[in-house]
Order: sequence, then C-alpha cells, then structure tokens
Amino acid sequence: MRSGLLSPGLLRDVAFAIAALALLLVLPMAFPAPALRDFLIYFFAYGLLAMSLNLLVGLTGLVSFGHAAYFATGAYAFGLLMQTGRVSIPLAMLAAVGGTALVALVIGAICVRLKEIYFSFITLAFQMFIHSVIVTWVSLTGGDQGLRGGIPRPPILGLDLNDARVLYGACAAVFVLCILAMRQVSQSPFGYTLRMIRDNPARANFLGVDVTAMKLGIFVFAAAMASVGGLILALFVSGAYPEFAFWTTSGEAIFMIMLGGTTIFLGPLVGTLLLQTLNHFVTIYTEHHGLVLGTVILVIVLGLRRGLADVVYDWLQGRRTTRPNTPAGPTPEGAEPAPLPDGALKSRIV
Amino acid sequence: MGTNTVSSRAPSRRQVLGGLAAGAAVTGFPHVAGAQAKAIRVGMPTILSGRVAILGTSSRAAAQLAFRQINEAGGINGRTLELIDRDSKGRPDEAAKVTRDLINNDGCEIIIDGEASSGAFAVHEVIRDLPVLCLHTCSETSSLSADPKLHVKTAFRCARQGIHDAVAGGTYAARNAKAKGLKRWMTCSPDYAYGRDNTAEFLEFAKMFEPSIETVDQVWPKLFAPDYTESITKILQTKPQAVYSALWGGDLVAFIEQSNLYRLFNSITMFSGGLGDPPVLTAIKQLPPGLNTAYRYNRNYPAKPANAAFADAFAKIAGHEPTNWAWQVYLGCLFIAEALKRTNGRTEGTALAGALKGMSIAAPFAVGDTITMRDSDHTIIGYPVAWGRTVPKAPFVEDFSDVGWGKIVELETQWKKSKGYA
Amino acid sequence: MNLEALVDCLSSASCAVTQVSTGLIVGMLLFLVTSGLSLIFGVLGIINFTHGAFYMMGAYFAFTAYALTGSFLASMAAGAIGVGLFGMAFERLVMSRVYGRDILMQLLVCYAMILILDDGVKILYGGEYRMMGMPDVFALPPVEIAGGFVPGYYLFMVGVALAAGLVLWLGINRTRLGKIVRALAINPQMVGALGINTTLLYAGVFGLGSLLAGLAGALAAPIRTLTPGMGVSILIESFIVTVIGGMGSIAGAFLAALLIGFTRAFGAIGFPLFVDGLMFALMALVLVVKPSGLLGREAA
Repeated sequence: MRSGLLSPGLLRDVAFAIAALALLLVLPMAFPAPALRDFLIYFFAYGLLAMSLNLLVGLTGLVSFGHAAYFATGAYAFGLLMQTGRVSIPLAMLAAVGGTALVALVIGAICVRLKEIYFSFITLAFQMFIHSVIVTWVSLTGGDQGLRGGIPRPPILGLDLNDARVLYGACAAVFVLCILAMRQVSQSPFGYTLRMIRDNPARANFLGVDVTAMKLGIFVFAAAMASVGGLILALFVSGAYPEFAFWTTSGEAIFMIMLGGTTIFLGPLVGTLLLQTLNHFVTIYTEHHGLVLGTVILVIVLGLRRGLADVVYDWLQGRRTTRPNTPAGPTPEGAEPAPLPDGALKSRIV
Repeated sequence: MGTNTVSSRAPSRRQVLGGLAAGAAVTGFPHVAGAQAKAIRVGMPTILSGRVAILGTSSRAAAQLAFRQINEAGGINGRTLELIDRDSKGRPDEAAKVTRDLINNDGCEIIIDGEASSGAFAVHEVIRDLPVLCLHTCSETSSLSADPKLHVKTAFRCARQGIHDAVAGGTYAARNAKAKGLKRWMTCSPDYAYGRDNTAEFLEFAKMFEPSIETVDQVWPKLFAPDYTESITKILQTKPQAVYSALWGGDLVAFIEQSNLYRLFNSITMFSGGLGDPPVLTAIKQLPPGLNTAYRYNRNYPAKPANAAFADAFAKIAGHEPTNWAWQVYLGCLFIAEALKRTNGRTEGTALAGALKGMSIAAPFAVGDTITMRDSDHTIIGYPVAWGRTVPKAPFVEDFSDVGWGKIVELETQWKKSKGYA
Repeated sequence: MNLEALVDCLSSASCAVTQVSTGLIVGMLLFLVTSGLSLIFGVLGIINFTHGAFYMMGAYFAFTAYALTGSFLASMAAGAIGVGLFGMAFERLVMSRVYGRDILMQLLVCYAMILILDDGVKILYGGEYRMMGMPDVFALPPVEIAGGFVPGYYLFMVGVALAAGLVLWLGINRTRLGKIVRALAINPQMVGALGINTTLLYAGVFGLGSLLAGLAGALAAPIRTLTPGMGVSILIESFIVTVIGGMGSIAGAFLAALLIGFTRAFGAIGFPLFVDGLMFALMALVLVVKPSGLLGREAA
C-alpha cells in the first residue's frame, strides 16, 4: 500500500516545494523591505533546526536536548573552511554537512543506546562538551568572541552572494530543498519504521528491525539537516558564535516544535514562525520580553495544551468528519494520535 | 528607575511604530522615513536582560543623558538626536539581527554598539555590510580595532582598549613590586578569551618593567561562576605576595566578599583590573582598604567640574553611579554630535567617518585637555588609564597615579609589530 | 597534571583541612539545591527546571528581608518559606496542569516561568549587582583547625545543609508521612484510594522541594552576587549532580555533590584546567555505564 502511495506522494511534494519556493522568491519582490528578507533568512535557519529536531522528537520519539550542537558544528565548519579562502561555497557546505554527520555518527553511536530521559541527558552532556570545546579552543574558534573577520562570499556560477537579494534567494532554495529531503525521509519506509520504533520499540525489535541502527541513522540525518540551518545563519551574519552551541539554542528549538506541534510534518515551521515573530515584535516594543514571552507561552501551553498546528489540524479534522470532536481531552494521552502520513498534507500552512 | 524608563521610552516607541509603518508601507525606501523626519535616529543594540543587564541599562541611561543635553542645546542644525535601543539578550546572532533592523527598518543612521565581546564582532560585520557610522562603546578586545584584517571603514571604538590597560597596569604593578619587594605573584582570572589575554598581557608588561616578578601559579575560575572558594583556598595554599585578577562585575563582587571570609587581603596585595567600576564597589558590603585597582570610572578623577557634573546627572537618571560603559557611551555621543556638526548634519557613514578620524574633543574624562579618536586604527587615546587604591568611603577609590600616554602609545606600537598588526 | 602538589597537600594537615573544607563548602550548598530537585523528581516524576530560578528567588527574598529587618534568621526564613509557598502555588496553578503530559510540555512551562521570574527580578531590583552582606554574628576571623582555616559562616552553612539533608532523609524513611510519600511515588492511585488527599501531598512535596532551593538561595545571599539570571549556572550544576547521583535519590545527590565538591577542591591543586571537562565526562560516563545514576533505582 505504501509503495503505491510513494510515487504520487513524491510528485505532489515536489510540486508543493516548487510552489513554496516560488512564493518565497516572490514575497520579497512584492514587499521589498530588507527587514522581511532578514526575517525570513533567520526563519530558514531556525526552521531547519526545529524541523530536523522534530525528526527525532516527533517521528522517532527521541527527545534530544542537545540538537543545537550540530547547528553550531555546521556553522563553525563552514565558516572555518570559507575563511581559508580556498574553498567554494557549495564545497564548503558539503564538507560542513559531511563533517557534522561524522561528529553526529560518533556521538549518536553512544547516545542512541540510552532510553528515554537518559537519552535527553546524554545529548545535553555532549552539547555542553562541544560548547566548552568551542570556548576553550581559542586559536581555532576565537573562543567566546566567535569566528572573527567575516565569512567571505565568493560568487558561485556568476551569482554574487554579497547582493542581499541573491543571498536570500540562495538561502530560500537550500531551505526548500532540505525540507523536501526531510519530507521524503519521513515518508519513506525508513520513516515508517521510525514511527513503529516510536510507538512500540519492542514490536519493532521483534520484527527484526535493528532499532539502534535505525535510531542512529535518523540521528545522523537530523544532525546533518541542523548543520545546514547553522551554515545559513553563519553565511548571513558572517560569523559563528559559541552561543549557537549553548543549551538555550537547543531549548528554543524545542519550544518552536512544541508551539507548532509535533504530529504534523510542517508543525515545527509554524512554531518557528510564531516564536520568531513574537520575539521580533516584543523586542521592539518592550525590554521586558521575558515577561511577555513567558506569559504567552504559558497561555498557549495551559490553554491549548498542545502545539498550535496540532490544534488547527484537529479542528479541521473534526469539521471534516463532522463527528463530535474531542480535542485536548483532560485525560493525559499516553499514546500519541496516530501518525497521519498523507492527511497531514491538507493542513500544511506556510 | 521604572518611571524614567517608561517616560523615556514612550516617544521612541511611538516613533518606532511610525518607522515600522513607514518601513512596511514605503517598502524599499526605508531611509526616506528617517531622512524626512526631524530627528536623527541613533540605534543601540545592547544587552538589557540577564546577568549583565546593567551593561545595557547604564549604557542606555548615558546615551539618554547625552542626547537630552545635546537636544536642549539646540540639536544639530535644528535636528534632534533620538535614541532607539534594543535588547539582543546577549546573543550575537540576535545582535546582528537587531542592528540590521535598526538600520533597515527603523531608519537609524548611526549605531552605538553596546554589545560585549562576541556581540561586538557580530555588529562589526553588519556595519561592513551596511556602512553607517558605528561606535563600539563596550568591547575592550584589542584586535577589534588593532587588527587591520578586521578594519571596517565606518566603525570606531569609543572604549578602553585591552592593550592600553595592560601597559598601564604593568607599569603600576612593576612600580609597586619594586617598592614593596613583591616578587611572588599569582593570578585569578575568568577562564575565557578576554580573561586569558588580559592576564597574559598584564604579566608580560609587569615582567618587562620589573624582571624580578615571578608567576608562581595561576587559577582560572569559570566565567560567571557563583563560587570561588576553591580558587581562594588555592591562593591561601600557594601564599603569593601579590595577586592579579581580571575578574569583573558580579563575579568580582562575589570573589571579594568570599575572600573576606578567609581574610585573604590581610597578607596578600591585590591588583584588580575591574574593581574600579562604581557598581562593583557599591555592591561590596565590606570593601577592604588598600586594594589596587585599575581606573574604570570615578567622579573625582579626572578632577574636573564637568566630570562631577556628568556623574550627578547620570545618577539622577540611572539611580546609581556611572559605570565604565556609561562614560564610554557618553563620550561616544559627544563624538557623534561633533562629527554631525562638522558634516553639517549629513549622516552618510563615509562623511561622518571622515569627520571622526583624528578628531579631538575636550571631554570631561580627558586626562589632558582632549580625548582623540586616532586616525590610523579608529580607537580612542587620552582617556584615563590610571591605577588607584580602595578606601572605605565613597567614591571608594583614590590616590590615582597616572601613566603617560606617550609611553603607552610607544609600547602599543611595539606590541602591534610583534602581533603583525603594524 | 600536578600529582606531586596533590600528594604534598594531602600530607600536610593544614592543606588537607583547608581543601577538605573547601570540598564540603562547595558540595553542601550544591547538595541543598539538588536535594529539592531530586525530591520533586523522585515523588512527582517531573524535572523542575525552574529550580534555579527558585534559588534566585530565595536569595532575593532573603536580601529584602535582611534589608527590612536586619535579622539574619528572618532572611533565612523569608527565603525558605517564601519560596516554599511560591512553589506550592506554582504547582497548583501551573505544574499540575501538565502532569502526565509530554516531558517537553513540562519543560516549556518551566522555561516560561524562568523567563517571567528573571524579568520580574530585574523589574523589581534592577540589573545592578546586589550583595546581602555578612551578618555581624559571622564577622569573625576564620576558625583555625590543625593549621587550616575555615570561615565561621561556612561552618554554619555546611551545618544547615547537613541538618536539612538529615531531616529530609529521616522524614522520608522513618516517618509515617514519609511512608505515604514513598508510596505516592510508586502508586499514586493506591494512595488516593486509601482516602489520602494526593493533591495536597503533591503540592506539599513540590513546596518542600522549592523550600530547599529557597533555603540554599538564602544561605548563598551573603556570599554570592545577586543578579537576574543567577539561577542558570546553579540549575546546570545541580542537574549534573542529580544525574550522576541518580534521579530521585537524596542519598545519591549527597554522594554526587560531595564528589563534585572534592573534585573541584582537589582538582584546583592537582589538575586545575580539567575540572569542568571532568564534570561533563563524569556525567556522560555515568549515563553510559549506569544510566540510573550512582544510587538511583533502575528506570521504571
């Protein structure tokens, strides 16, 4: 049944991706304020971080507290390679993603053996370790002052990335490509195996699935995708900073996916958009953004008790099936709502 | 403080709204909004939350004070200066973002960068991209202005520079070491790039001037560590004659109070790079007398009426004595106003940078007559780099002894050559 | 590495006394914070990420009470009881609504609370550095023990932490109420079925855990700088201690806090630059070898 769906699914995804990219490219032309482009580039970077984290949290049930470590390794590896002045941007990107995948392979091999909360703790420990390496290894990374001196942007294929509009276009294309890749992974047989591991690891094991290898696979892939987010940010701010690897960055990614919701594929992007927008405007109007942001989060969590995209999705589902819907019941749900592979498409926002 | 903040923010908030609306509606020409407005907008990315919030709040108060005075004196060709501050929460990527927003969206034509360490470098890169005039008023890292590779045409540093303090500190330490026979030294500095560089440079110059100085041990507590007991007992074990520390801010307050419990300063001569900052001195409940400290700010030094007047006016706005950051920001505002006068109110980055290069102004903080924005590397000289001793009564530090700027510049040049910067 | 210095130190009484006391001083305050975190996890099964912020509140409450009354006892009481009550309110109004939900929801709620509390402190007290000041009772020269020196205040602080830990341990293991609390941790339905008000118990345990954080904050107020956001580093440290000692184990927290304390005290002599890395390495090692921690029960 699945293989039958896969091909039209892919076509639909590609069509959707092309439409999304076109929209992203047209948007700044319709509203040519530089601030909109800036905002969207940050959205791409953190969106990739949140989306890739959700491959672990939502898809596989691995709650990582240390995902930003790979966001940072991507940024630093890319920045350092570009600063040598001998590498082209695409090559540096590939090397940074590959290097991060390698780091994730080593760390992941240790981490994925641990269960539940202990997995969370050890990912956090490794993240703090990577952060302290960045801060301590001053001769390479510049320590707490970050990678200084700017990251050069030599032209690729005649495209001058120093032009803010071209830079934006390139980031948008990379972003959409990565989202498409993540979509394919989550819809592949591998992706369904991961869902099975999340819902019932014992059964998966019984069916002969190598649970550890599968988890490691998605851990490495998610890390690679996070590193793309990191290098987009590094390219844009023309530097890399140890704060990228601090636990607060991982924390923020978690809040993005929780705000958006973990069950719908693009939910984390909704959360990213929400948090970025909130942060943007609250920072402008008040210095007490902690108070405002904290209150908003509390209201959403206590009021809706779930991610925004999940709520909207349930509401749509409820209307569609016209059954008396029971969203956010008071009973704590041990088992998550069943994964909704194709239905999820209908409620894609963004 | 609360009412102050609100009343001073209220107009800027409204204007920000206007700026946003203009930015969104007239999209593509955000600068128009700024150019047509009567006020010249100056943006300030800084840290207003978390552990070093006082950095941002005192920087902001100093800029508000300076702008009010400039505007009351008639502004710049009839135009007023308006401050728009924004919190980066201590995150460099956020600092880059708000700086871009301030320039692109809010029509800020000048940036006062109140960011620490990594944030300052992030803002520096933004200015490379969007070349408005930028004054760094917080980062003391020497390479920001000394390294020609990092040079940005419209970016200047209006803050103390690590290497200047190191020469002055080394000279003062050597003088004391010779007079009192202090040979065995230890250091206790925070373990991060600034702490390590600062300590290494201090020792380098101290030993250059007094070769009998010997470093017997070094301890490196973590930055923002709440507890220094193991470092203090290590110092007790090693029994040095003198200790140098690059700790600053709240960390230093805790270190001094915890050292007091062990009566550490009864037997050891203390040299501190950060103790001279008034909020640190005021926070310490039992300030031991006779600790040596670098000048950060003092209302009685330089002993000028203008300096005392600044301290009084600042305290009225902020509710506490000026910080090191406060005088640097205030001085930066004076430089901006003078540069605008010389360009006849033109705000293009290159024009202002041209006016600022080599500019000397008679500031309340000048040791001599003026403080100069050096032409060659865009950093200030002629500001106080003196050392003094603590006393129990406000303003807590006195007996400042100065180091001549001629000597500092000479040794700085040598240092630059050794680093390959010149 | 400087093993020679380490051996030298251990063979001299004065150095040994000073460093052992340093280990206790560093470790015991950490234990006090961690015991509350561990208690809450052990009984309620949730990780209270606001614990560091509670510690901060304890310090500020103590600061205010001391400034108003000039009494050290009042400052300690204000820190401990004030935060304890706040913790109970927080549990009732906020935390209880996310019981049984995703751990991420709990994390999110706690994060929101940290943001609010940090900002609240900044609004009330400003961003300046604050120090409560040493009460006159303790303004004495350090006590000399076998050539080593220990400040009187630290002796008091270690004493309070030990006493609090002992009372907690006895309370849980030797009293009827403790038995109920232990039962609550294992089978809340059964406890509820016996007619015991579990809601009240949950709030009480959460309040007690918060009280311990507040007490630690109050004890720290005379010697540590008060700033908004001061709870962050404490949270991370106590988190490491909890994981190493075993989530939910008070005795484990005690052991791990001592371990960290002595590592830092003697590390400063023998291997000064490794101490931080060592803490993370220790945490990772414990997680790999025995995920439930030194004295923790196996994961349910």
